[in-house]
Amino acid sequence: MKILNDGQIKSAVNAFRNAKLRNFWTMLGVIIGVTSFILVVGISEGVKLQVLGQIQHNGSDILTIRPNNIQIGGSSLNSLALLSGINVSGSLSSIDLSRVANTKGVKEAVPLSAMTASINGSGGKYKKGLVIGTTPNFVNLLNQSLSYGNFLRSTGNMDNQVVVGSQAAIDLFNEDVPLGQTVLINNQPFVVKGILNPFPPTPLSSGAEFNKALFISYGNSQQMTNSTVTTYEILALPKDPSQTLQVQKAINSRLLASHGGQNDFRVLNQDQNLASNTSILDLITKLVVGVSAIALLVGGIGIMNVMLVSITERTHEIGIRKALGATNRQILEQFLVESTTLSAIGGIIGIIVAYLIDLILRVFTNIQPSITVTIVILALIISTSIGIIFGSFPAFKAAQKEPIDALRSQ
Amino acid sequence: MALIKLDNVSKIYGFGDATTVALDEVSLVIDKGEFVAVMGPSGSGKSTLMNVIGLLDRPSQGRYVLENKSVSRLRSNQAAKIRRDSIGFIFQSFNLLTKLNVIDNVSLPLAYKGISQSKRYKMASNILDRVGIKSREYFYPSQLSGGQAQCVAIARALVNNPKIIIADEPTGNLDSAGSRLVMELLSEIHAMGNTVIFVTHNPELTRYASRVVYMHDGNIIHDENTAIGRVAPRARKVLYTLPVKSIDDDLAGVSALVKAIEPKASPKKKSKKKKRLARK
Repeated sequence: MKILNDGQIKSAVNAFRNAKLRNFWTMLGVIIGVTSFILVVGISEGVKLQVLGQIQHNGSDILTIRPNNIQIGGSSLNSLALLSGINVSGSLSSIDLSRVANTKGVKEAVPLSAMTASINGSGGKYKKGLVIGTTPNFVNLLNQSLSYGNFLRSTGNMDNQVVVGSQAAIDLFNEDVPLGQTVLINNQPFVVKGILNPFPPTPLSSGAEFNKALFISYGNSQQMTNSTVTTYEILALPKDPSQTLQVQKAINSRLLASHGGQNDFRVLNQDQNLASNTSILDLITKLVVGVSAIALLVGGIGIMNVMLVSITERTHEIGIRKALGATNRQILEQFLVESTTLSAIGGIIGIIVAYLIDLILRVFTNIQPSITVTIVILALIISTSIGIIFGSFPAFKAAQKEPIDALRSQ
Repeated sequence: MALIKLDNVSKIYGFGDATTVALDEVSLVIDKGEFVAVMGPSGSGKSTLMNVIGLLDRPSQGRYVLENKSVSRLRSNQAAKIRRDSIGFIFQSFNLLTKLNVIDNVSLPLAYKGISQSKRYKMASNILDRVGIKSREYFYPSQLSGGQAQCVAIARALVNNPKIIIADEPTGNLDSAGSRLVMELLSEIHAMGNTVIFVTHNPELTRYASRVVYMHDGNIIHDENTAIGRVAPRARKVLYTLPVKSIDDDLAGVSALVKAIEPKASPKKKSKKKKRLARK
């Protein structure tokens, strides 16, 4: 096949330059399609990577015991908040904790209780965070380190000490090292004993946002709420990582027995945790990829319409070109190059927009989309082929025009 | 040597009631190196003749031999290639592409031939120099006067070094100065050995031609060789004293018959019918 000559590309660029606004509207469908395609795939991949990173960080053998039908969400900034939101009405208790801890094969068990409380620091009222009651082993279990100070030392004591998440430290006190500062939780003074290093971001996860949380001792949280605090999660670490599944079963049967056979809790290993996080995500991804496919289809039809209008407007030009010796094929190529240029530029703009939104998401939310080169190249190929597919019919029509008829039209 | 040979070529447009006969069994032989002026009133088939000779249009009937090759039934791409390589068109309304600058317009036929851009520009530049508007190379058609635009169109027609230049009323949109410029250019091209065929309404312009063909109602009614530099002696006479007696007059009786059969038919229809009957 004879390669396109530079004159055809030049004329395509010229035609493009001469109808900027119209071309923009034409490309919009392709832009929206490409942007949503890249973003959705990118977000989905990014979140999966983040969740995997979290698991690697925490250790892959941790078991999570949760009440059924419970949702704990960190903050309003955790985007796609419809998946999260605080809804603590669980059925785990401190008795469950001791049962889990005493199950054979369990090395240690850590409760996480959440309470809604008014929090006041030197930086004013803090609305984003929640107060988590837990035990000293929390940090060891999650391989979490502290940037300053120490984690809580004792389990039951009402020592009124608090360890704050990295983001909470900044929000509460407007300073990096608020050690020894006082924070009021439900008007009870707590002394800041340590500041945690940032946890890996956990977008769309059903866990709490630890970076914005305040950690007090489990005993403290029970005392403050007259033992009505909700334990929304118990983390358990098996002694032998290879025995994780057996331990999971053991905990399950033990809790089932004590709950009177009522299956109102779940014992999840990290794989299941990941699956529950990503299955909804996969569904949404498929859905939105479908929607962006429709956007691309509509964009392609838009390109086809504009090309049809364009060849009608430029019939005279086609006549001149044919009179000067352009073959049908050369006319076809010219208009095909034009429609392909249109959709390819749409695709490039779409990619740029996707990167901009990616940047915005990274700055303002904890989602870190992962836009890979493969996705970008795929998007380029898709948008280019849309131009070729939807441009061929108008280009064919243009090529079939009789020179004398085309020349006569004005 | 006959370059162009038309043998009983007819061109009929439309069908049924709307049939128009644009060329009525025209036979014409044009030799290499002739400078032919085609004259005739509007609707006499001059432009159709040009389009058929220029392979923009296919004859409905008859044989057209171009350079000893029958071209009356070519496929569109073959016709395009002959147009590209052997024929240069000059139109009344210049037909430059408004979105391209002068040099791109001129080099367009070369682009369709597949010549590289630098070579194209060089050739186009040379030809623009020859027609005397090299200084306007990067102007756009809208920035040119009519005469200049037609010079660009001539340069474009010449750039492929075609054997035949076909000009359909090249001076129709130009003032007298522009007309002179264009005609001088055409005669220069002719002097270099090219065959030039042009259509004109202006008898004065026949002074450039070596041969004048007069057309009326799709027929060639007169064909004479003239001396270059002199207005064709019959130009005015033939144009302004057209044959009074036409074939339609002969059919007046038929016309009356038609009227009798179809009393309600519109006059326009009748005349068409008359014409059609005449062809039978």
